[in-house]
Amino acid sequence: MTAAESVSASTDPATGDGKYVYCIIRNDRSREFGEIGIGSGARVYTVNHKDLAAVVSDTPIVIYDPTRENVLAHEFVNETVMREFTLIPMSFGTIFRSENDVQSLLNSTYQAFTDVLEKMKDKIEFGLKILWDRDKVVASLERDNDEIRRLKDEITRNAASSTYFARMQLGRLVEAAMEEASNRYVNDVHEQLKDVSVASRSNKVIGDRMILNAAFLVERKDERSFDEKVKAISLQYEDLLTFKYTGPWPPYNFVNIKLKLEKAT
Amino acid sequence: MGLLTNILLAPFLSPVWGTRWTLEQVDRVVRDELTDDTPVKEDLMALQMQLEMGEIDDDEYVRREAEIMKRLREVREWREKFGMSTSGGPVRIAESGEPE
Repeated sequence: MTAAESVSASTDPATGDGKYVYCIIRNDRSREFGEIGIGSGARVYTVNHKDLAAVVSDTPIVIYDPTRENVLAHEFVNETVMREFTLIPMSFGTIFRSENDVQSLLNSTYQAFTDVLEKMKDKIEFGLKILWDRDKVVASLERDNDEIRRLKDEITRNAASSTYFARMQLGRLVEAAMEEASNRYVNDVHEQLKDVSVASRSNKVIGDRMILNAAFLVERKDERSFDEKVKAISLQYEDLLTFKYTGPWPPYNFVNIKLKLEKAT
Repeated sequence: MGLLTNILLAPFLSPVWGTRWTLEQVDRVVRDELTDDTPVKEDLMALQMQLEMGEIDDDEYVRREAEIMKRLREVREWREKFGMSTSGGPVRIAESGEPE
């Protein structure tokens, strides 16, 4: 039996629907965002408290798995809201039992939400992942690095007699040169994007081909300049590196409010 | 796409539960392993990456996603057993509801 089933099974349906919370915005009247919510297009609307609003949809009390479908639904709502509002994203799967509980959230966290919304005003996030093609980078190192080229030539010329040691040495040289190259690329990208972004954050790389997994916080007015800069950099490196450029996103990587929540039973 | 990275690693919400209890007889290491969903989430992100890079097709993605979801649920169940915080499910502001 899955956790989701166990939760819904132990819940009395008569206690009513829960509220799935997508994000917090600043808006002093209620708003509708259409039938785009998680769980086959639930109606998305706001729960208001003073000039803050939580963007929610009705949901049964269940645990949502972070499947692609669910995550996309969550994200689509935030994208829609983001077209008009600065928002603080809630983490995926956050459900409150009632409108009252959502209002308590807004009430008790009012100041923190207000401060962060002010700080994030008119700012958006872009994701940039850079992957390299190992073979191509090695080839370019063999071309440009004298020591590597010399050693490689020597090994090729004396294939029969070249020692294990020489090969080991070559391997080590290449490894070190690759790390150095990776740092050089990453630093260069950061350097070139510094003027068109407000802040950046590097996340852990995924898989063995990735050398950068970063998020950049950008002023809305600089979106185009940032865009053009990324395109220019990817052209500059097009023979060696693959750029995965995404956004605009809500400022996921630049908002860090720890809420004291407890399980609502 | 960056989407999973964002959502799964969003440092935004970390529920703190009112009650905590430990099973002293369970070895700490085993417990840490059972209750750590970081490697599962990393696998999910790696899978997403593979799909984006065209290394796997959609069917493969769906199949492996289902396996990962199962592992996530198992971790969640262990976390619940140990009275640790879990993501998902109904929450409310704790009594001493001041944000950190």
